[in-house]
Amino acid sequence: MTFATAAPAVTAAFLASLVEVVEAFTIVLAVATLRGWRPAALGTTAGLTVLTAIVLLLGPLLDRVPITSLQLAIGILLLLFGMGWLRKASLRAAGILPLHDEDAIFAAEAAQLGDQARRQQRNLDWVAGITALKAVLLEGLEVVFIVIAVGAGRGLLVPAGLGAVAACALVLAIGAAVHRPLSRVPENTLKFGVGVMLSAFGVFWTGEGLGIAWPGQDLALLLFAALFLGAGLIGSVFARKFAVEFA
Amino acid sequence: MMTTLKELAGELISMFFGETWLTVALLALVAVTGLLIDFAGLDELVGGATLLFGSLVLLVASVYRAARRAF
Repeated sequence: MTFATAAPAVTAAFLASLVEVVEAFTIVLAVATLRGWRPAALGTTAGLTVLTAIVLLLGPLLDRVPITSLQLAIGILLLLFGMGWLRKASLRAAGILPLHDEDAIFAAEAAQLGDQARRQQRNLDWVAGITALKAVLLEGLEVVFIVIAVGAGRGLLVPAGLGAVAACALVLAIGAAVHRPLSRVPENTLKFGVGVMLSAFGVFWTGEGLGIAWPGQDLALLLFAALFLGAGLIGSVFARKFAVEFA
Repeated sequence: MMTTLKELAGELISMFFGETWLTVALLALVAVTGLLIDFAGLDELVGGATLLFGSLVLLVASVYRAARRAF
């Protein structure tokens, strides 16, 4: 394993996980603020347990899939996933879609839980726990997919997994210190960057799955990333011009 | 519980198939590239360039299309 091979996978896993963990943290914090840390911690633990079970079930299955088929399947899924992120990030950067607002999400989640508290006095801790579980599971599934996608094709599951764990640790450490939604994290910039990297991986794996031997091997990823960054920015400029003309 | 499972399934589907036009176009691009390499004897590097630049064009077109539809 070389640095040029591992660095893009670890960076992509770290940055993508950072975005997802920040989103999950906002909802878990809303649960903890309204109903206390017990249901929040129980829901989070249950979510992480289900995610671990999924990884443990999927991991051995991946070893049985021929590498070319695995690269093609993961490459196509990465293309769809990464370009979806990049498209949304370009539209957000252009002002067509609203930016992700962690403070607003925190307020909405808190209001929803408060509403449920007024309507139904029983089982509130259960509802709060399920809310935390869902947040961890929904965002965690994306983390699991990204780690598998950027790591499985080249035997980089462990480094990519460590990148994701580092992101979790960082968000939890900052979250524990500030006790509020991490709204100052530049989510759209991160999503733009991650979309670029995942799309680059997507083209790379899909090509390898189709039997293409890319010139420069793993270094081709850097060229692909630069081209996707350029395309994302061009798309964003076009969209902004459109918004200015028709606003 | 069923609601949670439905939400999970919906989230999984939207992870990959959030924008129908882009999804269909990308799948078609990969299929055409594969067919050209396997059955038309297209040079693999030309196939690679088709896949790469096709994806870039689809990205810009998808963003532009979404912006146009927003107004």
